Amino acid sequence: MKSIMEDISEDVKNTCLTVSFELKKHFRMKRMIISFALAIGLPLIFYIVPRIWASFPDTAEEFANLNLSFVNLLIIISGSLFAGDSVVGEFEEKTGLLLFSTPQRHSTIFIGKYIGALLPTLAVVSIYYLTTSLEIIGIYGTGGISIEFFKSFFIALVYTTSAVSLIFFFSSILKRKITSTLLGFFSLMMILPITSSVLQFLVDVEPWYILTYFEGLITDVFVGAGPIGGGPEGQPGQFSPDFYTGLIVMVLYTLILFSVGVFMANRRRME
Amino acid sequence: MEDCVIRTENLVKKFGNNITAVDDVSFEIERGEVVGYLGPNGAGKTTTIKILTNLIEPTSGRACINGIDVNRYPKEALKDVGSLIGVPGVYGYLTPNEVLTYFGKVYRMSKEKIDQRIEEVLEMVNLSGWRHSKIESFSTGMERRLAIGKSIFHEPSILILDEPVLGLDPEGIREMRELIKGFQEKDVTVFLSSHLLDEVSKVCDSVIFLYDGKMIERDSVERIDQVMKQYRLIEVEFLEKLSESDLDELKKIPVIDKVEKINQTKFRIMKKEGDPASTADILRRTIEEGYDIISYSPKKADLEDFYVSLVGERGGPK
Repeated sequence: MKSIMEDISEDVKNTCLTVSFELKKHFRMKRMIISFALAIGLPLIFYIVPRIWASFPDTAEEFANLNLSFVNLLIIISGSLFAGDSVVGEFEEKTGLLLFSTPQRHSTIFIGKYIGALLPTLAVVSIYYLTTSLEIIGIYGTGGISIEFFKSFFIALVYTTSAVSLIFFFSSILKRKITSTLLGFFSLMMILPITSSVLQFLVDVEPWYILTYFEGLITDVFVGAGPIGGGPEGQPGQFSPDFYTGLIVMVLYTLILFSVGVFMANRRRME
Repeated sequence: MEDCVIRTENLVKKFGNNITAVDDVSFEIERGEVVGYLGPNGAGKTTTIKILTNLIEPTSGRACINGIDVNRYPKEALKDVGSLIGVPGVYGYLTPNEVLTYFGKVYRMSKEKIDQRIEEVLEMVNLSGWRHSKIESFSTGMERRLAIGKSIFHEPSILILDEPVLGLDPEGIREMRELIKGFQEKDVTVFLSSHLLDEVSKVCDSVIFLYDGKMIERDSVERIDQVMKQYRLIEVEFLEKLSESDLDELKKIPVIDKVEKINQTKFRIMKKEGDPASTADILRRTIEEGYDIISYSPKKADLEDFYVSLVGERGGPK
């Protein structure tokens, strides 16, 4: 029998193999090219259009605020593309009959699949920020890159991780790739934002426990937004997410959805 | 080194409260044996094989490979096992080279070995010219051959195959048969499930019969062959359907050992081997009894007939 360290090292190796296999799959399915093209193309629109037909905003913060307001859409599209079928695909396409009968712990395969979906989504977000930063430097000089820009980048990466975890969770429990991908997409695009709005504007409750409530932090950092309160004396719906609460909630979403996702996937069987 | 390489102990698999797919199945397979796992669709063959390859867990009992519990220690137990279960999907957007390279790495093969085996295996399954083609352009038979290639890629000493000839054309079936015979010579242990009894009898040393989740018999193909040589079968089709009393009368005819119903008008008569005159005698007597016969075909009893007679004894379809 092997020592515990040897055992762990084998599991890590298997996870890495799954990650590289997943990345190869995403590449071959042209998902990477599509997402990377969007990550470069979207910020370019915000550069080219004002350059030709209008003028750039006065400050780098305003430009970044406008440009990065679309990063959320990109996170949702890429997350759905990369994570939507990660687990369910093996069951639906019956490729799991080849994969799960190999000498690997199933949990190492699922962890690898999660990382294999997360890494390209993080890469897409990073490319978006890199393109935006190059534009800012081109327009406003190196001084245009503020600490808020890095703060926004950081929160975007954390939000990406939690969004991918949510879609991965759906992929672990649902039976069809299309259902899991669409549910992931619409949850982040419509269902959770609508729930969040209903709570804010109709019930006057701060929806701090809803993931998408914190997506605004990605751009809020540029206008120094903080909690402006709600309740009886404020106007209904005048809530603004707090940076640190957002960070904690996103990390919790990631940890819980990833763990439950791996657990549920591990319980699934090729019946 | 343990002689028994595959062992199941009181294996039970239930789906929900009502369906028992595998019911207290215990068997052992020794190194180098080629064993057929036979039964009709829904008998529990694939379920047993899925348990043996850690695709599902048993409700109770144990499945061991080389003495290691497959479901508790899959990494150790499945290291030396090649498997082909059902009709798997084969990652259409990748090439055989990419798929086999990944699985080679999972089995910790060196880069050189992976390259060498890709060439050998693709040659073996007639896909040499397709190494770098996308699998989505493959026909069903080609996908099947690639899946077979994957199962033997790491040169396992144990092969677990579920309906290996499913989806293959006659040429592919013949090649598969030759492949299995080749493994036999290399002392590879092969456990294969099938409902094609004729195919199994051509390649297996022994067979395990499964019916309704239960193991009903295990014997060597040679011995079954000897037993069946003592019998002759006659398939008789009558013009009109036979009543139970007609059937009882038919059974009273001397030299008839057993009568099995195929359908309302068709029956299988089993008789102890005797001279050809006894076959003619049965025909004459049946006509004398007043039955109108529209077909009468004597044949040698085989593995399928053995299975049918076993199932019949247990009240299953005859």
